[in-house]
Order: sequence, then structure tokens, then C-alpha cells
Amino acid sequence: MPLHRQFANEGKELIIAIKGRFDFNLVQEFRQAYSDVGDMQPTVFIDLRETEYLDSSALGMLLNMRKALGSSVKGIHIINCRPEVRSILDISRFDKLFVIE
Amino acid sequence: MAAQVGAVNTASTRMLILYDDADIAHDLCQLLSPLTSLNVQKLVVTEEFRVDLNEPLPLVLLVLRKQPTQSLTPLTQLVLEHQTQVLLVSPEWETLTQLQAQFPLQIAWPWGQQFLVSWLQQRLKLHEAEENIERLWQTLAWHTARVEREHQLVEHIFENALSRNFLEYPRVNTYLTPMSKFNGDLCLISPGPLGNLYMLMADFTGHGLAPATGALPLSQAFFAMADRGVSVAEMVTEFNYRMSRLLPNDMFCAAILLELSANGERVNYWNGGMPAALLINEQGEVIRRLKPAHVALGVMDDEEFDSRVTSFRAPSGSSIAMFTDGVIELLGHQHQFLGAEALETLLSTYPSPEDFPQIVEELERFRGETPLHDDLSLAILSCLPTKLVQATPEHDQLVIPFQLESVLGPDYLKQLDPVAQIMTTISQLPYLSRHRTTIYLFLAEAFNNALEHGLLGLDSELKQDADGFSKYYELRQERLQQLTEGSIRIMLAFDASRKEVMIQVSDSGEGSPQYERVTDFSDKAYGRGLELLRQMTTDLSWDHATRTVSFKYGL
Repeated sequence: MPLHRQFANEGKELIIAIKGRFDFNLVQEFRQAYSDVGDMQPTVFIDLRETEYLDSSALGMLLNMRKALGSSVKGIHIINCRPEVRSILDISRFDKLFVIE
Repeated sequence: MAAQVGAVNTASTRMLILYDDADIAHDLCQLLSPLTSLNVQKLVVTEEFRVDLNEPLPLVLLVLRKQPTQSLTPLTQLVLEHQTQVLLVSPEWETLTQLQAQFPLQIAWPWGQQFLVSWLQQRLKLHEAEENIERLWQTLAWHTARVEREHQLVEHIFENALSRNFLEYPRVNTYLTPMSKFNGDLCLISPGPLGNLYMLMADFTGHGLAPATGALPLSQAFFAMADRGVSVAEMVTEFNYRMSRLLPNDMFCAAILLELSANGERVNYWNGGMPAALLINEQGEVIRRLKPAHVALGVMDDEEFDSRVTSFRAPSGSSIAMFTDGVIELLGHQHQFLGAEALETLLSTYPSPEDFPQIVEELERFRGETPLHDDLSLAILSCLPTKLVQATPEHDQLVIPFQLESVLGPDYLKQLDPVAQIMTTISQLPYLSRHRTTIYLFLAEAFNNALEHGLLGLDSELKQDADGFSKYYELRQERLQQLTEGSIRIMLAFDASRKEVMIQVSDSGEGSPQYERVTDFSDKAYGRGLELLRQMTTDLSWDHATRTVSFKYGL
């Protein structure tokens, strides 16, 4: 399973973990993963600990998610990035749009 | 294992009749013939008699009509040195009296016949019992030696299996005391690849060797998965899978697994059946209880298993105390249990990591000399940046330069994922391995540009909104399946002396691969790939004539 979705802390957090390759092959699955965030206005955590590869389509998908969710979530955090992933996000200035931990 | 126990030895007891009167000796043999477990030998008392002592000789009947002329010293030596029982049998009162001092056990022949038989019966029984005890002793000694040896082997295996355990990590204090040689509790610590830290505290039902055995597969899974940086939910799912298959029905494994992020702020945990761990702030207040939300590992089937984790933010300088119920139920020297409340008070009194020895001291003072009745495990983790940085091993390692080129026609493009395949090939190589994510990104961007725009003629404008984004990739799939001609060439060269990668991607198409366009850096959902290439690579160029994009990247 390249994508794993799970609510935590009584629905106050939605964790989406992506394993291996994060690219356009996950377009539908990724959209699906945040299509129902519940009414708790959760914080979304994109867990990239096992994301080995990503390309610009993944960045596009993250931006689409941000647009789609708007204020229905408290915030979107991108967590557990490997150093290379982190630098790709930084170069794309995602730190201005997401909380990167 | 050889069965030594229960082999009943029916060997007979050796008895020697030393005589000077053949008739009495003969009658004695007749009399004693029903005592089948007696192995009777007869020997005439001659000038010099010798006794074969290769086998033990517990009994001697000395049958004398008159006091012998030769010395009886060899016989008295036997009594002294081999605990041989000598019974003097004689029909003459005189002989009996004369030899009273040397041989106090005497039978007056023929009057004492009945007594002799019952005395021998007693002796035989006693002898048999002694032999049994001796055999049991030997068996016991053999087993003790064997168990000792086996324990040594298992200890060795445990030492090896747990050699990776990072118990010396300075941000964790532990007090781990097994009740017997083997610990049914488990406290594992391992750094993850992202500077994060994993900690597992587990308590198998029971104590001693059996539960400790379960620790082997659990620890192996733990360390392997920690190396990969797997999430807590996935780890516990795997643990449960292993435990439910391994453990008998009446055995399970309570466990708390937690992960502290590299910055020391974020904690994810899963608690199945362990006492609530405590989050304690610098002032010693318990600010959160990490209660068990699940049943222990090894109880649920894969389908029923609930891997949901809980997460929270730990204030800087706070600490998490994990412990097994052995600590709560620690029996004190006044026969009272420690209890959860007293433990909490103790932990609150000493919230600083420097004070950990005080906690241990108090626990030991409470216990006094009382023997443990369960394994004890207490571990306290300080929530601070972990400072676990992954080492980058390769320095001036000498590696070969190489060049890789692949020209891909429609069939390959339709059926394969060329970039993924190239990555599988090169991601194990020195230098390249550490940069695989970045190299993948470059190859993917250049390849997708060539395919999507060059060969398939797709327009990124479509990706403006979320629906268009999906539509774009549906269209990509559609057009790719219809592709009948054209090719893409991928070339990757590694310059070993400059530690530099050069990448070229060409296509045979007609569409515009966008390199000539200027993209501004708004939050559009496209155009980022090109911008990433611009920022991260050097010598980026697009040759319109050969439709080749080319760039370099220093490792």
C-alpha cells in the first residue's frame, strides 16, 4: 500500500503517509485520502518518512490539496521528510505554504 | 535429549562367601538362592586370598569354623576402605567370641539363618535405594550441566540479538531488572533514519526463558523496521502479526511503542495493554497519560487488529516515563505493594534526568531484601531534539565512472516505468545512493517533459485546477496507449573524478517541452519541475535542433 490514511486523536488529526514513490500514479488515491476530513477541522499530517522518490506532480498534488481543503482543516503539516525531500520542498518554497517539520 | 531418567538398574549386588567349611557355604548358597538380586561368589579361605575389587563388593560372608591361621587384614582393609559389610558366620561360639572385635556382625550357624535372610533382604533394599539415589544424582548433575550450557547459549543469542539496542542513548534513563536470568520484559531503543527515535517497552505474560524467547523475533522486527523509518502504526501491525502466529493462546505481549521526532516535539505512540506511560513536565506535573487504547500484541487477528496511533506535542524539557506493571506491583520489605500513586509521586519528585539515580535508589530502598516476583522495567525519555544525525559514510572512496544510455520506443514507454527502472539500477551505487531522491526528481522531470509535451503533446495549462490536474493525467494515459511511433533517449553519465552526474534526455516528438518558456513562481500546480531543475542543476540547456535537454549535478 503506497498510501496509508488514518485519523488519530479522536478525529483531530488526519495522517496520510506515502510510501516509496509519490507521483501522478497516486493522483486519484491522494485526492480520495483528503476528500472526507470530517467536521472536527483536523490538522492534516503528510508523513513522508518512507517517501523515497517524488517529482513535481507530487508538489502539484500537495498544492491542489491545500486549495481544496482551505479552512476545513486547521493546517497542513508535512512531516518526517528525508533531507533530500526536505531540500526539494524548500527550493519550491513550500515552507511558506505548509508547516514542514 | 537423551533420556537418562527412569532407567531402573536391575543389576545384582555382589556378595562374596569366604569359607573354610564347604558344607556351610553350600547350605548358605541354598538358603540365599531365593534372593535373586544377590550375585554370590564363593571363595575358599586359603593361605592368601585376593579379592577382585574391579567391581564394588558391598557384602562379604565370612564363614569360619575355626579362627584361621592366616591374616585377615585384607578383609579388614576392605571394610575400612570400601565400606564393605562383613558378616561372620560360624557354628562355633569360640570362634565368634574370638573374632568379636574384628567382625562385630555375627551369625551363629545354623540358628541365625532366618535373621541372616531378613538382614540381607534389608541390605539389598537399602543398597538398591542407594544406587537409585546415586543414579538420580548423576542424572540431575547431567541435566544441571546441560541446562547451564543451554542457558549460556541462549544468553549468547540474546546478547547478539540485542547488541544493537541503543540503551546507552543519553536521553534515556533505564532501570531494567529481570527476576530470573532471562527477562520477560523488553526495552528497545533505536534511532530512525530521520533523526527520530523509536522506543519499545514490552511485557510478555510470565517470566523466565519462555517469554524471553518471544523477545527475539520482536526485537529483530523492531530494529529492521526502525532502520527503515517505518511508522508506528505499521510497526505494531507487523509485531502483532508475528506475535499472534508465534505465541501460544494463553501468552501475549503487552507493549507500548513510541516515536519521538528529530526535533523532540512530536510523539506518536501505540499502547496495547501496558500501564499508562506518563508525560511529566519540568516542574514534575503529570500533564498527560499515555493510556492503553488497545489490547496486547498477539491477541487479535490481523483483520481485527487496531493499529491506530495517538500523537501529541511534548513541551520542551518534558519527559515520558514508561514502566511495566512489575514496577507498580513491586513488593516492599514490609510486604506492601508500591502502587501506581506512589510511583507517580516518586517520578514527580524527581522530574530531572539527573535525578534518575534517586528514583532507582528510592525503589531499591522500598524493596529492601524482598525477592522480586516479576521483572522490573522503568525507562524515562527526555523530550528534546534527539541529536541523532545519520552519518554520511563515503568520503574519498574511489568509484568507477560510467555512462548509461537507453533509447525507448513506444512499447517500452507504454509498458514500463523507465525512470523507476534506471533508479533501481543505480540507486545502490556509492555517491548516487545518497542522492537518489534528487536524481530521481531530475530524471522524472526531464523524462516526463519529453514524454508528455514532446511526444504526447499535452498542455500544462490544463493542470490549472484540481479537476484539470486529474484530467491531464487521464489524458496522458490515454494518449500514451495510442502512441505508435517516436522515442525517448535517456543518458546518464557519472564523472567519478568530479563527482558529477550529467543527464541528457531527448525526444523525437514535435511538441514544445517548455524549456523555452519562462514560468513565474506562483503557486500554480505546474511549472515547478522546470524551476526545480533550474535551481538545483548547473549547465541546464535545451538544444532545439536535437531536442535534447542537458544538465549537470554535483554530488
